[in-house]
Parts: sequence; C-alpha cells; structure tokens
Amino acid sequence: MSSASAQPNRVDRAIVVARDRDNVVVAGEIVRHRRATRIIHWTVALTFLIGLLSGMPIWTPLFGWMAYLVGGMEVARVIHPYAGVAFVIASAFQFFHWLGDMHFASDEKDWWRPSRMARYMRWEDEASEEGGKYNGGQKLFFWAVCLGAVGFLVTGIPMWFPLRFPALLREIAIILHDVTFICFLIGVILHIYLGTAAEPGTFRAMTRGTVTRSWARLHHPGWFRKVTGESRDKRT
Amino acid sequence: MTVQALEIKRSSAAMWGTKTGLREKPVVSKYIDTTTCIGCKACEAACQEWNDLKTVATHQEGSYQTLPHLDADFWNLIRFNEREVDGGLMWLMRKDQCMHCAEPGCLEACPAPGAIVQYANGIVDVDPSKCIGCGYCSTGCPFDVPKFHKTTGKMAKCTLCVDRVEVGLEPACIKACPTGCLQFGSKEQMVAMGNARVSQLKGAGFQDAMLYDPQGVGGTSVVTVLGHGHPEWYDLPRDPHVPLLVRAWKSILRPLGVLAAFAAVIGVFGHYATYGPKEPPEGDGVGEGRTK
Ligand code: HEM
Ligand code: SF4
Repeated sequence: MSSASAQPNRVDRAIVVARDRDNVVVAGEIVRHRRATRIIHWTVALTFLIGLLSGMPIWTPLFGWMAYLVGGMEVARVIHPYAGVAFVIASAFQFFHWLGDMHFASDEKDWWRPSRMARYMRWEDEASEEGGKYNGGQKLFFWAVCLGAVGFLVTGIPMWFPLRFPALLREIAIILHDVTFICFLIGVILHIYLGTAAEPGTFRAMTRGTVTRSWARLHHPGWFRKVTGESRDKRT
Repeated sequence: MTVQALEIKRSSAAMWGTKTGLREKPVVSKYIDTTTCIGCKACEAACQEWNDLKTVATHQEGSYQTLPHLDADFWNLIRFNEREVDGGLMWLMRKDQCMHCAEPGCLEACPAPGAIVQYANGIVDVDPSKCIGCGYCSTGCPFDVPKFHKTTGKMAKCTLCVDRVEVGLEPACIKACPTGCLQFGSKEQMVAMGNARVSQLKGAGFQDAMLYDPQGVGGTSVVTVLGHGHPEWYDLPRDPHVPLLVRAWKSILRPLGVLAAFAAVIGVFGHYATYGPKEPPEGDGVGEGRTK
C-alpha cells in the first residue's frame, strides 16, 4: 500500500484494491477476484497440471511423452500421488473459499440438464436470467470439481498402496479413478476454453483480478447491478 | 534347451509393433507332477541360489510351508496342503511360481513400456530397469504372483530362469529336483507327458486326476499334474482369467476416454467456429477503459 501511495503513477489503483478486496468498482473496472482467490485457484490449477502430466503417461503410452516433462515414468509414479494429495488439499481450501457463492438459486436448478448447458453455449441466455456472481454452469462445475477431488483421493489411495488392499478393490479403484479423470479432463478442457477464447476478458479476472464493466454486464448482469448499483436497463 | 536368442512376442504398454524379429521359437514349459513331489524344497533352494535372492526368514504357520505366499525375494514356493479325502489324510504338495501365461494379465495391466515382456518362447519376464513399481501387474495377475520389492522399489517374480534357458540350460529348479517330478521342454512335449501321466493315474484309481493348463489365460508355460483334480485343493484357481475389470479398463474405458478427450478438443474448435466468442454488444464498452 505504502509503495502505491509513494509512487501513484507506477501501480495501477485497481491492482492495489484487488490485493484484498473484491466485488468493488475501481476507476472503470470491477474487481472480481482478490489476490487470495487467485492464489488458491492457481494452486489448484498447478497441482492439477502436475497430476495430469504424471498420471496421463501411466494411463496410456499415447501420452507417454508427458513423462519426460516430469522426469520419466518412475518419477511420475512417485510424484503423482503427492501431486494428487496437494490438489485435493488446494481444492479443499477452494471449496471453503467459494462455498458461499455457490448455492443454486431457484431459477438455476435446471442447469444440470444438457439442454440448459447447450442453450448457454449457443449464447442464447435471456437478459432476464441475471444470476449472481457465478452462473449455474460455473456452480455445477464447482460442485463437480469438489466431488472429483474426493473421488481422486478415495480411489487413489488403494492405487498408491496396492499391497494393502484386496485385488477386487484395486480393480474397482482403477476404473473409478479413470472415470473421474476422463470426466475431469473434459470438464477442464471446456473450463479453459470458456475462460480464454470463448469469453474474451475473462482470463484477466484470474490474473489481474479485474474485469471491465461491459464484461460484467454481459456475463453476470445480476452481479454487475449489485456491485455498481446500476439499474437493470441503464447503458452507459 | 534349444532356445537361444530372445525374440520378444509382446511387450507391456506398447502402442503397436511389439514383436521383434521374424523367428518363431518353440514355446517352452515346465512340467510339475504333484504326485511324485516329496516336498524336499530342493527347487526352492536352487531358485534362491541361482537368482541370488536374499534369504527370507521362514514363517511358521503350522505346516512345512516355508512362507504363507510368494515373496519378492522368494519366487518358488512349495505349498503344503492337508486335506481329508475318503477318510484318509492327503498331504498335497505343489510347486508355486509364476505360471508364464500365454495371455498374461500382468503384461496387460502394466503401464510402463517394456517393463513386462513375453518372449517368443513363452517366458514372461519383468525388466526392472523399466519397471516403475506401481503394482498394476499384481492386480492383473490371476495367480497373485508379482510382488513388490521394498529395497529396489520394483516388482519381482520367477523369470523361468530366462538367463539359463537362453544359453540352453534348464531352469535351476528343474535341475535340482531329485525325483524327476520337475521336467522342462517344449510345451508340446510337456503337455504330452502330462496327459500320459494323467491316464496312468486314472488307470491306478485316481479318477479325478487332471493336467492343469488353464485355457482361460491361453494355457500356461507351467503344466501341473494334479493327482486329485480339484485345483482349489492345491491353492489354484479353477478357471483363471485376466480380471474382467482389468480387461474393461484397458480395452474399453481407455480407448473411450482417449476418444472423448480428443472429441472435447475438436468440439471446442468447432464451437468457436460456429458460435464465435461471446463479446459485449458493439459500443457497450465505450468510455469504460481503465483510468488511473
Ligand atoms: C489424492 C489424489 C490422487 C491420488 C492419491 C492418486 C493416486 C494415483 C495412483 C497411485 C495412480 C497409479 C499410478 C501411480 O502410482 O502414479 C494413479 C493413476 C492415475 N491418476 Fe491419480 N491420484 C490422485 C489424483 C489425480 C488427479 C488430480 C488426476 C488428474 C489430473 C489423476 C489422474 C490419474 C491418471 C490419468 C492415472 C492413470 C490411470 C490409469 O493407469 O488408467 N489422479 N493415481
Ligand atoms: S502367473 Fe501372473 S505374473 Fe506370471 S505370467 Fe501369469 S499373470 Fe503374469
């Protein structure tokens, strides 16, 4: 803070505010994710990536090249469970951090339907579907990730210590670990797509922490109105 | 024996082209006759010596059996089972080791390229330099054979003395057997010898005698004459298969998963090409740039 006031022209005011406050308007921008949120989320993403790079070469030789990125197949086998546990711990922090924002509103309860998701993906949401800070799809993904983290942990342990568990349990664990992983991978591909190319202006919410007003009005009108205090129809 | 150079027939976690060379090799096999085994454990000692395995502390469980089951440092175990048959007590001994399956579940389950290989002569071997110690092979094996070695962090099991067979010698256990109940040769010869012994036993009143060469795993390179039939009396599964879930994992779930992952990536490009990015309407953001 002190450096910001000492050098007012060097550090962007929005960046300074975004260190420890969110859901506020700063000079034409809106802070969406404060620093703590961003650190938690990138920890989840990084530990997931390490889990991915060390798990996928073990999954199939088609992705065997990924093993080189972590130091070989033996290293992959050793670090994978630890990366997995780190991912689960980071996900637990994220769970408590975001839980309050992730309850489904009554008009969001239909988001589990593929038809509802498809309508969103055709960019055909109605203006009346305001939503809160997150839309139904994001909430669904949040809960899926939490479930997936538990699934990885529960099924990963018998795979970690195969000698301590009966063969049938190990077989079931491997199948479920794989199913969890496949669903997770598809979800993450869509998640990254939506956070970058599909919805421009989103990625900076997880880097700078801020978004533009027009972005907020388009993607999260309910949240935009609450944060800015503007009426529904006002256009600047 | 006649097997000299080692051609590989199958290798774990290979995408394609696992077969090396063109030469077909005769499949070799051990022959075990449980009816003439006297439980002297010479084969156990020979196995330990030839393979330079560490001495394992014996484990007394009220029988003559050295250990309750195979160990990473103990690849050849005579199992001693007692059973009452028709009012008489039977003392059943069977030499337990890797069965060297024609369709090995260990190899199918193994994720490390080349860590488990099946040579053209039928021997299934672990290459410790490529093994990652994940233990998947023990999940795939219907006989619970491969064991995790705590010191090396790798899996270990009977190699069928591939290093001896390669240079024309018989496996150490066979060499040591004093009664001739262990033999080594081509699979054909061993099966023929086993069938002959089974009919001899049947003629002598052992109606249930059978040759154990389980077809569920494509047959094995260890054929065992069971004097009383009933594989489970000898701690053998009656009809072993590579576990169904291991099959489903590797041959259904995995290709489906790979396909789904690629489909998701292609779908994302398709979506972008069809719907484009979701951006604020023209003019909406005017005058909203960041100001300091
Ligand atoms: C607490 C969490 C986790 C634990 C304890 C765990 C443990 C394991 C273990 C022990 C294996 C066997 C191979 C090895 O030892 O490296 C494995 C395989 C695998 N894991 Fe995990 N894991 C966890 C989380 C994850 C995560 C977050 C991912 C996704 C990025 C993942 C993806 C995979 C994949 C693709 C395989 C290969 C499965 C196969 O061979 O079919 N795991 N896991
Ligand atoms: S008995 Fe087990 S370890 Fe031996 S070849 Fe068959 S599946 Fe592999």
